[in-house]
Amino acid sequence: MSRNGPLALAYHTLFVAFMLAPILVVCFVAFTPEGYLSFPTDRWSLRWFYAIAQYPEFISAFWRSLWLGAISSAIAVGISVPAALAIARYRFPGREAVTALFMSPLMIPHLVLGIAFLRFFTQIGLGGTFTGLVLSHIVVVIPFALRLTLASAVGLDRSIEHAAVSLGATESVVLRRITLPLVLPGLVSGWALAFINSFDEVTMTVFIAAPGTETLPVRMFLYIQDNIDPLVTSVSACVIAITVVALVLLDRAFGLERMLVGRNANHGR
Amino acid sequence: MAFLELEKLTKSFGTHNAVDGLTLSVEKGEFVALLGPSGCGKTTTLQMIAGFVEPTSGAIRLAGKDLLAIKPAKRGLGIVFQSYALFPHMTVAENVGFGLEMQGVAAAERTTRVGETLELVGLGAFTTRFPRQLSGGQQQRVALARALVIRPQILLLDEPLSNLDAKLREGMQIELRQIQRTVGTTTILVTHDQAEAMALSDRIVVMNQGKAEQIGPPHEAYERPATPFVANFLGKTNLVNGVTVRPERISFAASGLAGTVRTRIFQGNHWLYQVDTASGLVTVIRQNTGEAMPVEGDAVQLAWEGRA
Repeated sequence: MSRNGPLALAYHTLFVAFMLAPILVVCFVAFTPEGYLSFPTDRWSLRWFYAIAQYPEFISAFWRSLWLGAISSAIAVGISVPAALAIARYRFPGREAVTALFMSPLMIPHLVLGIAFLRFFTQIGLGGTFTGLVLSHIVVVIPFALRLTLASAVGLDRSIEHAAVSLGATESVVLRRITLPLVLPGLVSGWALAFINSFDEVTMTVFIAAPGTETLPVRMFLYIQDNIDPLVTSVSACVIAITVVALVLLDRAFGLERMLVGRNANHGR
Repeated sequence: MAFLELEKLTKSFGTHNAVDGLTLSVEKGEFVALLGPSGCGKTTTLQMIAGFVEPTSGAIRLAGKDLLAIKPAKRGLGIVFQSYALFPHMTVAENVGFGLEMQGVAAAERTTRVGETLELVGLGAFTTRFPRQLSGGQQQRVALARALVIRPQILLLDEPLSNLDAKLREGMQIELRQIQRTVGTTTILVTHDQAEAMALSDRIVVMNQGKAEQIGPPHEAYERPATPFVANFLGKTNLVNGVTVRPERISFAASGLAGTVRTRIFQGNHWLYQVDTASGLVTVIRQNTGEAMPVEGDAVQLAWEGRA
């Protein structure tokens, strides 16, 4: 492994600082005792963390975002598995079109999706419902789920499945005992990436969510339209803390590099 | 009637015949090698026997029954793949036991048979390891054990040794032959390595462009190649005045085909000569017996048995 030269090192330091600075600033501001956004200089306070408790809609929005992300990502992964296996293995008419269709939400501005879903859901009676949120989030996160599922499906050595067949395994046994366990790392990372994107989504969701079905980012967005106090920074600090804990746990369990870079340890030699 | 019969087996991809009217009979317990360069159709033939590729025409019969009417999962064949194709998420014992589990063999008997088969391939102490914790040679043995434990009607070996380094490969060849003799399973080996085919098999099928050029015992095919392709593929050969002569059959004599030594290479147990003659460049291999041999530039006479 080659070492970084001083110039590259300086560049990397600057880059990391640039990425982390806003996050750190938000976390610092969360500890201000003042009633406006300010950098605490001499006094620190947990005032705005206690304040979250007085706004239960933030807490319920947080849980809603969590469920929304979990459910829509799980369904997206469920749809991705057969699609990825078909795309990875077979040459069939419309294969390119199917791939493009699944990836297309990446290309469409979320603003456009938001307006379209708002109109569509109102028409079919799903306007402002949690079901509507789930459906729209599935569409938005499916490219991420499919991308990583596909990567592990392509990397799968077909002779492993042939071996299982030759030993007497039926198709469903091969799927359950061989194929799914082997693509599991791809499914887990696909789910995680999809979840992050769902949890983070605000541009589209702000059109679809109604009072009572607001997600956390939407709730925060609406709050800062009317208020300039540091409550959103303390909420952000909590989300950042939860994210850090989750990342550490995921890294311990699966290895983050393997999950997000898509390197599959099963096939490494 | 032979145990395994391939009759006019053909597989076409578009206008190209990967396998072109191959007919072959294999006796029970026999070890047959399908030998040829890449693209000769040997792997496609194996895959048609295994059931992963459907023939365009022709028939495959196993013990008199039409094999093509049976699903791949029901054929009861043991296959060792070039990539080994072990189940990476299962231990060695689980890998080997998988086929027995599929047959519904009870857990206790399964453990016994898995243990016996792993002993046979010399891996009795490795049951709880995962494939990634094993060397290439050990993975190869697990793959062999996994194929043998189901007591297959036929053992199919697809380039089983090509991922091993040269020294290990030689050792595995000897071992593979001993194991096959011990269990007596009818075996089909696919390989592009003529030394491997000759070392292991009772008969070889030299294939070229989807057709069998020659079918016979290795010694016979080597000594009496049916076509120039077979002669070339099975080892170094000379084509002198339309006759093929193996380099080790040519000796330096008092009279014979006159020539001049162009190059001489020492290879330990033998010398390799290139001799310029009126009939072209001739390759000669002489055993190293410790005696003085002609050097580069020497005028020599080449003689061989049956030379006119």
